[in-house]
Amino acid sequence: MDTRLEKKKLSLRERYHLMTRGLGWEPTYQPADKVFPFTTYEGIKIHDWDKFEDPFRLTMDAYWKYQGEKEKKLYAVIDAFAQNNGFLNISDARYLNAIKIFIQGVTPLEYYAHRGFAFAGRHFRGEGLRVACQMQSLDELRHTQTEIHAISPYNRFFNGFHHPRHWFDRMWYLSVPKSFFEDANTGGPFEFLTAISFSFEYVLTNLLFLPFMSGAAYNGDLSTVTFGFSAQSDESRHMTLGIECIKFMLEQDEANVPIVQHWIDKWFWRGYRVLTLVGMMMDYMLPKRVMSWREAWEIYGEQNGGALFNDLARYGIREPAGFRDAIDGKDHISHQAWLTFYTYNPLAAFHTWVPTDAELDWLSAKYPESFDKYYRPRLLYLREQEKAGKPVANKNLPLLCNVCQIPMFFTEPGNPRMICYRESVYEGERYHFCSDHCKAIFDHEPEKYVQSWLPVQQILQGNCFKPGTDPTAPGFDPVAAVLDYYELNVGRDNFWYEGSEDQRNFAAWRAAAQNN
Amino acid sequence: MGPISETRMAHELTIEPLGVSIEVEEGQTILDAALRHGIYLPHACGHGLCGTCKIEVRSGEVDIGNANPFALMDFEREEGKALACCATLRDDTVIEADIEEEPDARIIPVRDFEVRVSRIWDLTPTIKGVRLALDAPLDFQAGQYIQLAIPGLGETRAFSIANSPAEVRESGEIELNIRRVPGGMGTGYVHERLAEGQSLSLSGPYGRFFVRKSARLPMIFMAGGSGLSSCQSMIRDLLEEGCTLPITLIYGQRNRAELYYDEELRAWAHDFPNFTYVPALSEERVEGGDVAQGFVHEVAERHFGGKFAGHKAYLCGPPPMIEAAVTSLMRGRLFERDIYFERFISAADVQRLRSPLFKKI
Repeated sequence: MDTRLEKKKLSLRERYHLMTRGLGWEPTYQPADKVFPFTTYEGIKIHDWDKFEDPFRLTMDAYWKYQGEKEKKLYAVIDAFAQNNGFLNISDARYLNAIKIFIQGVTPLEYYAHRGFAFAGRHFRGEGLRVACQMQSLDELRHTQTEIHAISPYNRFFNGFHHPRHWFDRMWYLSVPKSFFEDANTGGPFEFLTAISFSFEYVLTNLLFLPFMSGAAYNGDLSTVTFGFSAQSDESRHMTLGIECIKFMLEQDEANVPIVQHWIDKWFWRGYRVLTLVGMMMDYMLPKRVMSWREAWEIYGEQNGGALFNDLARYGIREPAGFRDAIDGKDHISHQAWLTFYTYNPLAAFHTWVPTDAELDWLSAKYPESFDKYYRPRLLYLREQEKAGKPVANKNLPLLCNVCQIPMFFTEPGNPRMICYRESVYEGERYHFCSDHCKAIFDHEPEKYVQSWLPVQQILQGNCFKPGTDPTAPGFDPVAAVLDYYELNVGRDNFWYEGSEDQRNFAAWRAAAQNN
Repeated sequence: MGPISETRMAHELTIEPLGVSIEVEEGQTILDAALRHGIYLPHACGHGLCGTCKIEVRSGEVDIGNANPFALMDFEREEGKALACCATLRDDTVIEADIEEEPDARIIPVRDFEVRVSRIWDLTPTIKGVRLALDAPLDFQAGQYIQLAIPGLGETRAFSIANSPAEVRESGEIELNIRRVPGGMGTGYVHERLAEGQSLSLSGPYGRFFVRKSARLPMIFMAGGSGLSSCQSMIRDLLEEGCTLPITLIYGQRNRAELYYDEELRAWAHDFPNFTYVPALSEERVEGGDVAQGFVHEVAERHFGGKFAGHKAYLCGPPPMIEAAVTSLMRGRLFERDIYFERFISAADVQRLRSPLFKKI
């Protein structure tokens, strides 16, 4: 019997379905619970994995082609940038300190994201989620590589770019982004997606992209800008994954709602705290400024975030517990962070400075309620001391928040003259926090956060010296020993921008390029 | 979209997998044309940057316009992909878009009709009933609407068809229930100047608001104001077809004088045991137990004990009613995939800032 059936051409959806969900199978050698042990232990109840709405319809074969072409375009720009000494076209060498923080603190997070999504993709049961996570895992690995390649031309000419991988695991301020992501990667797959895909990629990523990519464009950094474009075409996919995952959890079972609410509270605040660094870069580190942290926060945090939380209210989700305090902080956190980094600059692998008069005026205009009252006088004092040859350096190791690991410089909501201190006692030990929300995160899971690797405590315990160091030797200089452990190029990577090698070289090279 | 004759160059665009054909004007983007014909194509940025509206050209020819090279790669251009938000037609074209196939959607081409006002009467102090005798049979799905050309205004207004497809077939007339919008030019004309015997032109049917019969789930209809029209047509259609699934109508008005068709609906509830009728008044104090007190969403929550899972819900009414009803339904565990509505947006409604969390609700 030879019956010929007219075969209808598959629709895009059907084709996608066959190439993703159609590839799944039910395990038979082992029970499914054993193959996927992490899908239930967070308490999230899923009744029907097929209800997950795939956020995009990209199949693996198209993915390779797509990313391959992007790479070609990106590397053509990076090569041209290096060959044409593109670094001479940036606005000012101060700008590069923002890029140093990027390669030191953000690029390693892309790699953590690669690992996190690989883990989540392995442990979700539904094929839709697995495929989405697998692709994002590859995206993140690609972002790590392309960021390193886009930024590495600067390492040939400037300090602070040479040892980011080593610093990430040791340098005090890098424990902030590092501990943030390790917290996410050590959650289960659902918490990981809520933390990274939803809270970070969706709610906060615009605030991260804005200063780096627009900032790079404004300041003539073509290499980083092009990396930004190539990554941004992945970001919309990443954000929708976060949104679909949140909806999926909230719709699958009512009992998931309070679990998701707790994660949103936690990860909104964790992400917001990490973005303190970004606020500081926007307000202080870009010679040509895009917009102030406050303005960016109002658009992306208050308006867009507000609209999202309004819509989420339909699921019974309320705005994150820290949302009001984050709004309260918009006039302060960037200034408080910069002042702290300035006084700790001998210990950091980038430069800080006191803004020029024109820049101080810009800050006054952008922060009419706070800048002249609280921050301008302190910056003017720092400038005075610097001019007198006595730059203010803080040699005391600061108290760190046990959760976000940021030094305790944030002030009380509603009172910018009072440092905010919170503490909890757990099994007889006292732990310190920068805010109600970091304290709440600790109190919910103290057994996790008592394990925090806090750089200050580690230094004081003698764990941040090179092997063979003898702290009892006469004339022992603990700060020098820590900087040696960091493998910091003392005098070149650290200290203030004024008088730095970066400043001198950039001026000399630019002059050579522009004069006879 | 009105019945205005076209002299400009236009091409025919067929959108698969729907199989719908529409006219696209010279220079008009595919996305714009589709949206204006009530066909939702996924889209986001609207100017060629994000790639969300990527489509495949099956035959014909398009100009891909200003698509960003990262959003539409070279190899994709060679494969015949385009971005609907910036592509225009150079010839009659067939595209395939990433749209959900709706097993219950019928493809009915939009046509122009000449009609005569056969009857016009007061349903309530603010709503008029209008019956229009058609010059040709009008095929439609219960819940769909027509665009009525308002004489002298040069514009059209959308109105849902209030009677069922069977009744339209038998009588050769469609019924519209038209509430007077304060200061509205279109509804003002209908209320003040439209007269029996007058000729009008209209086009239709439009819209993707119809009953998902193949789901075979109990149904909740929530109607407010003149939004009763489409719900009434849909329910009537279901009952006439012999549907035995539970059907509940929560129908709200401000006061008793506005509660039009109350008696008819009570009679249906009496005749059809699977149909439950719950009228509600939001402003007038209710005396006696035959009408519930409160807004439609509040009455629905009480009626269903706050639990809506396992239903399909169809909403029709003013935007605040829809908004409140969607919230109630979602809190009662009924989500986007099971909620349908046609939103009546008048020029006065200001859209609030929305997140991309929901596609249509």
